[in-house]
Amino acid sequence: MKSQEALSEIMRSDWNRRVRHDYRFWITNEVSSGSTLWEDGARDFEMIHHGITPDPSHTALEIGCGVGRMLPAARKLYQRVIGVDVSSSAIEKARELLCSHEGIEVHATSGCALSGIESGSVDFVWSFAALPHMPVRIIAAYLAEIKRVLCPSGIARLQMFVGGQSGVSETDTLRLRAFTKSNIEQALVSAGMALESITPTRFPLSDLLDDIGLEAVIVTARPAARHSEAIDVIARWLCPSGESASESSLASSQFEAWFALHYADKLYHDGDFDRARDALEYVTQYCKAAQIDIRDTLENIEQAAKRSTKTAGVSSPPDFYSTNMAVLRERFPSVYHQLRAHSQSSTSTIEIRETAEGPTLWFNKTCMDHPQKPRSGADAWVKRSLNDSRMSKASHLCVVGMGCGYHLESLVVRGSHAVSCVEPSIESFVRAIRARDMSHLLGQLSNLVVGEETGQLVCDGEAEVLVRPQEMVAHASFVQAFTSSFYGRRGLSVLHPRIAVLGPLQGGTLPIGQYTTSALSRLDQHVRGIDMSGFNGAYEKIGGLVRDDVRQNVSRQAYVEMLSAILLESFTEKPVDILICMAQAPISARALQELRRRGVVTVLWFLEDYLRFTYWREMARYYDHVFTIQRGPCIEAIQAAGAGHVHYLPAACDPYIHTPLEVSEEDRQTWGSPLSFVGAGYYNRQQTFANLAHYPFKIWGSEWPLCKPFDRMVQQNARRIAPEEYIKIFNATDININLHSSSERDGVDPTGDFLNPRTFELAACGAFQLVDERSLLAEAFDVGSEIITFNSLPDLRDKIDFYMERPEERKRIGERARQRALREHTYEARLRQMLSMIYGHEYQKLKSREQSSPWLEMARKADFDPELRERCEKAFARGAEPTLDGLVEDITLGQGNLTEAEQKLLFLFHVRKQITRMESEEAGKEK
Amino acid sequence: MKRRYPRKKKVLLVNITRLGDMLQATPTIAGIKQENPDCHITVLVEKQVEDVCHILPHIDQVIGIDLGFACRALAAEGSGIIDAYQYVSSLVDRLKAEEFDYCLNMSSSAYTAILLRLLGIQNTGGWSSDEEGYRVIESEWTRLFATSVHHQNRQFNSLNLVDVFRCSADVEQHPRKLLVQIEPAAKEHCQKLLSEAGFTNTGPLIAVQAGASQAKRQWSPARFVEMVRLLDKKYNARIVLTGAPKELSIVNPIVEGCASSNVLSIVGKTSIPQLAAMLSLCDVLVTGDTGPMHIAVAAGTPVVSMFLASAYGFETGPYSEGNLVLQPVIGCGPCNPNKPCSKPDCHDMLNPELIAHLAAARALGEVTEVPHELAPPHQVIVYRSQFDDVGFCDLVPINCPEGDRFTRHRTAYRKLWLDDLGGLPLPAANSASRAQRGLRVIDEGLEGLSEISACAERGQGLMSELKQLILDTRAPAAQLARVNSSVVELDREIEELGYRFGPFGALTRMFIFAKENLKGSDALSLASQMNSVYRDLSRRCEKFRQFYQEA
Repeated sequence: MKSQEALSEIMRSDWNRRVRHDYRFWITNEVSSGSTLWEDGARDFEMIHHGITPDPSHTALEIGCGVGRMLPAARKLYQRVIGVDVSSSAIEKARELLCSHEGIEVHATSGCALSGIESGSVDFVWSFAALPHMPVRIIAAYLAEIKRVLCPSGIARLQMFVGGQSGVSETDTLRLRAFTKSNIEQALVSAGMALESITPTRFPLSDLLDDIGLEAVIVTARPAARHSEAIDVIARWLCPSGESASESSLASSQFEAWFALHYADKLYHDGDFDRARDALEYVTQYCKAAQIDIRDTLENIEQAAKRSTKTAGVSSPPDFYSTNMAVLRERFPSVYHQLRAHSQSSTSTIEIRETAEGPTLWFNKTCMDHPQKPRSGADAWVKRSLNDSRMSKASHLCVVGMGCGYHLESLVVRGSHAVSCVEPSIESFVRAIRARDMSHLLGQLSNLVVGEETGQLVCDGEAEVLVRPQEMVAHASFVQAFTSSFYGRRGLSVLHPRIAVLGPLQGGTLPIGQYTTSALSRLDQHVRGIDMSGFNGAYEKIGGLVRDDVRQNVSRQAYVEMLSAILLESFTEKPVDILICMAQAPISARALQELRRRGVVTVLWFLEDYLRFTYWREMARYYDHVFTIQRGPCIEAIQAAGAGHVHYLPAACDPYIHTPLEVSEEDRQTWGSPLSFVGAGYYNRQQTFANLAHYPFKIWGSEWPLCKPFDRMVQQNARRIAPEEYIKIFNATDININLHSSSERDGVDPTGDFLNPRTFELAACGAFQLVDERSLLAEAFDVGSEIITFNSLPDLRDKIDFYMERPEERKRIGERARQRALREHTYEARLRQMLSMIYGHEYQKLKSREQSSPWLEMARKADFDPELRERCEKAFARGAEPTLDGLVEDITLGQGNLTEAEQKLLFLFHVRKQITRMESEEAGKEK
Repeated sequence: MKRRYPRKKKVLLVNITRLGDMLQATPTIAGIKQENPDCHITVLVEKQVEDVCHILPHIDQVIGIDLGFACRALAAEGSGIIDAYQYVSSLVDRLKAEEFDYCLNMSSSAYTAILLRLLGIQNTGGWSSDEEGYRVIESEWTRLFATSVHHQNRQFNSLNLVDVFRCSADVEQHPRKLLVQIEPAAKEHCQKLLSEAGFTNTGPLIAVQAGASQAKRQWSPARFVEMVRLLDKKYNARIVLTGAPKELSIVNPIVEGCASSNVLSIVGKTSIPQLAAMLSLCDVLVTGDTGPMHIAVAAGTPVVSMFLASAYGFETGPYSEGNLVLQPVIGCGPCNPNKPCSKPDCHDMLNPELIAHLAAARALGEVTEVPHELAPPHQVIVYRSQFDDVGFCDLVPINCPEGDRFTRHRTAYRKLWLDDLGGLPLPAANSASRAQRGLRVIDEGLEGLSEISACAERGQGLMSELKQLILDTRAPAAQLARVNSSVVELDREIEELGYRFGPFGALTRMFIFAKENLKGSDALSLASQMNSVYRDLSRRCEKFRQFYQEA
């Protein structure tokens, strides 16, 4: 009989070896890394934790945590989660995998004690698929330790096996140990615990376990009011006959060799020859006692590796993995490598069922093919789908969902469309390519994407997404996201909607409306900017005529109604497909309703703090899309107020406007300063900047008091500063302060989230700025490297003093900020994102509006003259009206020779002009 | 006469719009045929005018262009535009297939200019366009046409546009009248109408065309009533009222106002050939500046025509000998055709008694004088049409020998263009202008001419400098830029002088057209061409001075 320490050492050695070989196989039941690892961990934790309602402040402990796959799930319920394992390699791997999880700690233990964990400090102890691999005396030691570390109200859940004595030797760290229920109960009592229940549970390989008479159970126990007995006593209760010390070496080795061989075989069939070789090498090196001849298997692997093609399987069921993989390697190498890197699990949610017409794939109890007649059912579905003219007219169909591929074959055989496929589930795909020889189909597909990374999927102008109905059930959110992204990207290249950008009457959003228009124009969109600032005078005048707030409000609403009526007339004369309203655009709910009735997509870019400006409550419902500069609760609130879709889209910069300038000495005298601020005099800014009067500090903008101490700081009588002016200020200032406004806080708003446009504009100018801390800043800039923040007035002062002395550092930071802004934060980038989101949701609607455009009919009719047809298409693309004027508006004299088509169109243009003139003459009217 | 393309084989005449324009083209067509007996002449006209062309002599082929269809299709928008385009394509294809070697575009419209470019005909007269779509006027006579109809210059022109166009087409020989063939059947039809009219008077048969193309040119029905009554009662005349159906609203009040058995309305009852036949049967036609006026002239019937509002007798007056043209004397006339007039005072300058008198007199024979009391020269000038020594139509005043205040300038310009553009022998000065010579002490009428002349000289100097700079490869670019800038300024100055000194607007307009029509891109060649343009202006200034002083 070996000592506990010796047994622990054997355990450590064995498990370190296995983890180093392939932890995914030995510890996680072949589960891969990544989300599936955690998902399976969560599933198992749910199984063992079922029925317990913990206090979030409690502590949980797992014994035999391996690489920690269950710990993140536990962390969701417990404030502190501890994982211990005898294998230092497993703990090392766990630390690697869990690096980003706070509140989880993992420790390598001695193998039989929970040293380092205070007595009575743990509320929940569990062990899953660990104790049955441990020698009995080690289990006994842990039972005593569990009693020690559990608090009086604590609870333990231990996964064990119930069954007859298994005859496993004490040094065997792999084979499963089983005990009788009474033994378990008595051992617990001996350890100072009270058995609460022994509940059967489903466990991987349960069918196999049934065959060998083992039943997986979860044992629930609580600390009892008595002390634990000696470990040997507990062990004797658990296994009265004790564990054998002999013959175990061979048996253990044979068992481990069998496991490894099985794994090698599986890898070999998967076509993963390198890892198959590794597994065989493991057998050779570590399971010598088993005396297994692996030469034949190795030979098979080598030959298969050489052929790298279809190989006769060594297992009985037909497996087409290698065959299909060979085609994938040729046609879709990225999918091939993706699958190779993917460790396959035997997920019970996916299965293959045979039918008379061939195998079918089932995912979560949903058959992804026709359950009885997969082949003829697929034919019928394809036929029905192609009855939809949109699908039949498309040249390329992108099918979401592979199943066992029957429907794809049916489509490919028709030859009428190029066919691509997106299969959201890698596991399903793997099962499918095992179950059927799809080499021909895979060879015919235009594109194939497996998993949820669909960015590579080509979506040309004539492609349509065809979704298998089963996918709507199995992967609803994926289907929605994919379809939206697909049509969003495609919309950018093929849609030509007429877009109007409606600016506000006044305020900071006014120039952003112009930047938005320019950016859309640069994105080759047909855009019309509607500048409403000319109407602001009258709007302001209302305040002078009417004093009472209510009357003022009524009057202003009436004025906005009148402007809305004008806008509607304008849109009747020159229709639009998308109306982008900038924040505070003067348009009424009634007008928005009318535009939606006309099929116009209404969009609001709400560049405001949703908590301070709350008109979205009444207006959100009239917009199909609202874009906000805040995340989280803002999006939820606006969504709840009835907006169609709400998306996050921060402000940005226009690199054509916000750019570094060579500042002349004269301009520097006027606009320059060591320290500047541009913006309105909000409460928190006044409070903060009053404390900066001792600096050479210039304040620009409106709504500032002109009394002391501001009288020397505020410039030009606190007038509003135009964009071209503040660009000069940014460029001529050493340190630009950017303090986000607040009407409530004295200084920096600790809850501030969104970024004002100035943040991006300063960055694009390459100007150095000190900006107050904002929760969304780190997404946009690398704080400390690209941008410097302050969190309080003293901090601001310190940083002013620090950076004032470091012009080179300021320059470097400013330049890095500029590079980042140009790379990621331009209005072009934002608008591309906005359009992609709009098109993703509105693609069919906008497409159908385009289809009904007379231009398309004209282009078809102009088929006899390619140049005319091209002109029609170009006019359509630039959003011109379907009139002769629209067709000739881009013909400019003096820009080279006119083509024949241009001459003919100009002929018609002048004919109409002449006839109109003559008619006017005859009517005696003035021309 | 100076000619550009004297030989013509297969000719296309583009004269798309109106009946009157087509009739005014007949001397040119006859002249081309006379000078090129073997040539084949096709005319391209608006579809509505197509039928009329069959009664015009010397035309071998008529192609109608359906502008109405094109406009209707364009008005439908959408695919209607493609229909219109397709129509234009088929028209162009058809015209190209004819392989014309000469085309005269008699229309100043932009679309006919583009059409000429589309057809790619080598030799052209009139308006065309270059490959970039800009309008081109190659012929100086056509430039003169464009200059003369420029509103500022109209009253200084005395050349009938029929002659200007004739010269644009290099035609020297011509029949000195408009031409139309009278169909016997039509004549018979009209004779029957007249025989069934039930006239009780036995005097002259006088046609009256009351309707006008523009409201402001429309003499009032009440005045017509008064005039017709006079013809009926005083001159024992039989009166035939002509017009298109749309003119019934004008003619019906006249018929009702006269209530006479000697007034026959054939408004809306005749086709164009029948109208021509009817007019050929009449002794005289009283009319405004209308299509029927030209038909009457072509049919050999003299006209008494009132040139009201924007109408200007020298420009579009009756093109044959012995017609009477009445031009009101009023500061605002001839007014701009494109502007309406709410108070057409010029209508008051013509009294019904004068018109009736002239009509009755002309029905009896040539009229060479008119009593002052009927036609006070401060109100109206009555002209008689005649041809000068070189075959150009002219108007000679018969109620005041000195003519109006623009006569001297008109005379000088007439001589200038015949000499300078045509190389023609100068017509003898008429007695009216000679009579005035001794009365003028200061030639106020020449004010501004010296400035223009000086500019033309400066221009030649600049061109000389420019040529040297172009040839000198080491010349600094700045110098070239300076000269170029000086040229731009100079041209602006010349144009402004033309506006400032109205009588010389025609000289400067001809200069502007010449500058707009420089050819090619070679700097030296352009400099030479520009030098010629300044030289032309300089020469014309001097000639004008001479002719003015002689006048």
